Parts: sequence; C-alpha cells; structure tokens
Amino acid sequence: MNKAILSILGRDRPGIVAAVSRVLFDQNCNVENVSQTMLQTEFAGIFIVSLPNGMASEDLHRELHARLSPIGLTVLTKPCDHGVDACAAATCEPFVITTRGPDRKGLVAHISGVIARHGVNITNLQAMFKGGDDPGDNIMIYEVDVPQAVDLQTLAQDLRDKATDLQLDISIQHRQIFEVLHRI
Amino acid sequence: MLTQREIISTLEMLRNENLDVRTVTLGINLLDCAGSELGQVRRRVAERLMRLAGQLVPVCDRVGQKYGIPVVNKRIAVSPIAAVGAALAPPELVELARTLDAAAREVNVDFIGGFSALVEKGMARGDRALIAAIPEALAATERVCASVNVASTRAGINMDAVLMMGTTIKRAAELSADRDGAACTKLCVFANIPEDIPFMAGAYLGIGEADAVINVGVSGPGVVKKAIDRALASQPGLDLGGLSELIKKTAYRVTRIGELIGREVAEHLGIPFGVVDLSLAPTPHVGDSVGEIFQSLGLLAIGVPGTTAALALLNDAVKKGGAFASSRVGGLSGAFIPVSEDLNISEAARQGHLCIEKLEAITSVCSVGLDMVAIPGDTSADTISAVIADEMAIGVINSKTTAARLIPVPGKKPGDHAVFGGLMGESVIMPVNNACGDNRFIRRGGLIPAPIHSLKN
Repeated sequence: MNKAILSILGRDRPGIVAAVSRVLFDQNCNVENVSQTMLQTEFAGIFIVSLPNGMASEDLHRELHARLSPIGLTVLTKPCDHGVDACAAATCEPFVITTRGPDRKGLVAHISGVIARHGVNITNLQAMFKGGDDPGDNIMIYEVDVPQAVDLQTLAQDLRDKATDLQLDISIQHRQIFEVLHRI
Repeated sequence: MLTQREIISTLEMLRNENLDVRTVTLGINLLDCAGSELGQVRRRVAERLMRLAGQLVPVCDRVGQKYGIPVVNKRIAVSPIAAVGAALAPPELVELARTLDAAAREVNVDFIGGFSALVEKGMARGDRALIAAIPEALAATERVCASVNVASTRAGINMDAVLMMGTTIKRAAELSADRDGAACTKLCVFANIPEDIPFMAGAYLGIGEADAVINVGVSGPGVVKKAIDRALASQPGLDLGGLSELIKKTAYRVTRIGELIGREVAEHLGIPFGVVDLSLAPTPHVGDSVGEIFQSLGLLAIGVPGTTAALALLNDAVKKGGAFASSRVGGLSGAFIPVSEDLNISEAARQGHLCIEKLEAITSVCSVGLDMVAIPGDTSADTISAVIADEMAIGVINSKTTAARLIPVPGKKPGDHAVFGGLMGESVIMPVNNACGDNRFIRRGGLIPAPIHSLKN
C-alpha cells in the first residue's frame, strides 16, 4: 500500500487539524501517524497516511492544496519512503543533551554539528531562545540516540569543548534519569 | 518524549540543590580471612579488599557521569573486625587497622568502616581486644571508622561496654589532641545498629549479609529545602499536611536516583545490590544542610521549641516517599543531625538555640542522635558513658537505632571552637550540663534488661 507524508504549516487557529483530516477522509486516506506542534504563533503538523489503491501522492497533494491554501495553509506532500531507520540497525542508548547560555547566532548549528559528526541521531529537539544573557531564557534540549559504537567520553568532551567556546552550560545525561525522577 | 519541565527541574536539582548520591558503599565479608597469625590475616584482608574494591571508584565515576549525578563518596564496609581478628591482641588489631587504611587509600575510598564489635549482650575476648585497640587504631589511621553496638531492644544495654566506651572515647581524643580529638569523629556507639548502613562512621557488613553487597546512601537536604521554599513562595498558606506531601514526593525522586545508580554500579561490579538508605545527610557546605530545612519550615533555628515535631514530620515524610520509591530500603533511613557536619546546626549550637538535652530529645524521632557533638575536653569518662547510656535507652525502649558520636576536645571549654576538617566540619564546644559529682549509677555495670514489648507507654 502506498503511503504519503504531509507537512502542513500555517498561522495557528482553531480548525486546522479538522480541515486537513476532512480532506484526507474525503479522499479515502487513512491517517497512520500524526504529530503537531506550535512554535510561537505558528502551527506545524506532520501526517503519515496510507493512500487508497490507484492514488499517487501527487493526486492527494493537488486536492490538499486546492482546499487548504484558501485558508492560509501551506502543504508539502511526498511519497513515504520505507527506508531503514537511521538508528534501528545499531543498538543505541538514549541520552539528553541540554545547553543553557546567552543567545547568539549559530548555537543549534554548532551543537548539532558536533552531534552529527559522531554519527548520533537527534530524535527530538526543543529549543527556546528569548534572547539576552539569562541562561534560563535560552535553552536547547536534544534527545539523541547514541549508537553503542560511539565513544561517549569523546562525544561528551567534544560537546563540552564546543559549549565552552559558545559560553554555554552543557549537560549530557542518560535519558533514564529523567524518567526515574519524574515518572512512576 | 520528555517534557521541558521535567528536564529543567532535573537540572535545577542537580545544579543548585546539591542533588547527588551521597555514598556507594561496598560491603565486603572478611570472616574467612580470620586467623591467629597476624601476617596471614593482613595478607588475606588486603588481597580481598583489592580484588573486590579495585574497580569501585572508577565504576562509580563512570555511572555517575553517564547519568550526570555525582557519586560523592565511595566507601567500604567490612565484617566486624572483632570477629575477623578475634584471635589477635590489641596491638595486632592496630596493625590490621593499618592494613585496612592502606587498602582504602590504594583503592581511593575516603572511609572504610567495620573496625567494629557487637557487644550488646556480652563481650568475647576479641571484642575486648578490639575496643582496647580502637583509640590507637583511629588515631594512627586516616580512613578507618569504628563502631560498637552496646545495646539492643532484644538484649538490653550492656552497661559494662557503655562504661568502657567512655574511657575509649577519652583515650581516642587524647591520642589525637593535636587535631581537636578528630579520632573520635570516626567512632560511633550504637543501640540497634543495622547491618547494612552505607553511611560512616557506622557502616559495617553484618554477619547475616552475603560475600559482598552494594548499599547506597542517598541524601538531598538541599533538594528538600528548595522544594519547600519554592512551594511556600507560590502558596504561602500551605499547611503542614501539604508540606509533608511535598517532602514525600521529593524523597521519592531522590531515592529513585539512588537505586538506579546503585543497581547499575552493582551490575558492573558483578555484586548483588543491597539497599538504599534514605537519610537526609548534610555536609558542611552552604545549601546542603538539614538545619536549614527547619528554618524553611518556619522555625527560628533547629533547637527551638517545635524542633522535635518538625523533625518528626520531616523524617516520616522522607521514609514514606522513599519506601514508595524502592522496595529495597534499609540502613538507618532517617535524618542525620550531625552538629559539626552541618553549618546551620553548628551555628544554632553556637548561638545557644541547640543544646545537648534537645539533641537527646530529638533522637526519639531522628536517625541517630548525638552525632558529631563536640564537648569540653575535661568531661569525665563517666559522664560520657552516662550520656551514651541515656542515648542507648531511647533506642532500646523505642525499638529504633540510636547512636552517640561524642568528641571531648582536649584542652577546650564550652564556647571554644573545634575544627575537624573536611566532611567532619567544625563546631562550637557544647556544654554538658549538670555533669557534676560522682556518678555511681554508671559504675555499677551489668546489663539493663531488655524491655517488655507490651504495655507501651
């Protein structure tokens, strides 16, 4: 069965998910996964849907575009690739990397660059930069999967060195510590 | 997916509230190292300690780094040396203490406990030799800790042993007079000593324990204080029931961390995991104080009226939270109030808010009792024994652990200042009131019988 992945962007307001899912329902598509988030005033949603026999992702895109662009939503559609999960082949340990420090350009680029260089996959990223020098106002939280083959000491040292250059306070901790502390 | 709040509050606990694992203590059974030839016993003991404890510190550091939680102290607790060295004479036991000290230094642990005897009902030859060796063993070593259990709810109070401990403490203080009697900071006299305490100076490996075991001491007074302060800032009218609930939740978190770290260390070392000891244990650092919790709860200082009730609330909430977090709870599991090890408690003593009588009273609801209390150097051995006897009686009658760690600081008088250094901290010399005249009661010796278990009042 063909699948498509859709990304919907637009200024947040009531009714966006309803509008998108109504089109999908009318087109006989089945929603398999959906995730939405809001950054400041903007809505972003990702849907993975299975398409009915004979429908291509381009057909669905035309329909979505026709019905959603008049209400201010931008749609990106592409066939869903069944490629191998980047971390599925290797055994990974989940870690959380957190930085706090004064806002400046390039923080995400520099830190994610180090993470990428070690072949570590980011599974979730939350970052908030309100500007200014208050560390509490400028936070990056990377949830990452570290393959067992990656030397944690070297990764941690490289991250710490980069954080020092950027005047960031950094911590690298196994994810389990957060679960143990906050969840029963 | 973790929430931002979960992550940020965790980091706050770590960075600003001194959340840590206070100690991972490796218990090592030395009973089969016993013998009558000193050289052979020393060789066996050293070999056993090096073999089992060699990797303790690096493993704790590695696991601590993985989770971003420091394991502040790594320690060793051994079988009671009174049993291991039962055939040895006191000078030989001092030599065995040196072996323990050297091994502790070699594997980089800060304390090794178990220079201990269990004499609540009677004393064997080895027990007498060990108690005789304690002053010199503690004065001559840096890391060896001693404990003597002189009473239990099932056996009563061995008053002959209590009397000996008064003399022993005085002698240990004299032998370390140049360090304000610091040898006494490594000596605890107990009633109902648990077999699995990870905290010093009382840690030893009980006779009923396995070949080796990992016990963990969690702490976190700073975390509890900050949680109370935060809650009261947002809800100034929060009542004591609400505060108890808050302390419970905080203790739950701290305990979960301790168990996670302890189990992982145990797995890496291939040694069974024992217990988490849920004690609020202070250090002489700002923000890591049990005394400050009393002030957050609304008291002027620890020691003023209301202190016993406040500590009862605190201790019970810590136990409830901890017991829910882990099914492997043991050790002392209560709040420590070591005067010299806690800046705030030490200051309360200096200002006169806290006296020995109040410390004795709050023993009824806390973990140990008269802990790290500096007293005048001219306090007589009889008086020290009598203070110990009072403390033991509270434990025996109430079926709980109590302990006394008294330091008669040579040459110092009430109001003077003693400095023990490092984790042992510093303190004003507290007066021992009404310690005048002859104390014939304490010299009568014998056994105060075990208490009746019905007719509770």
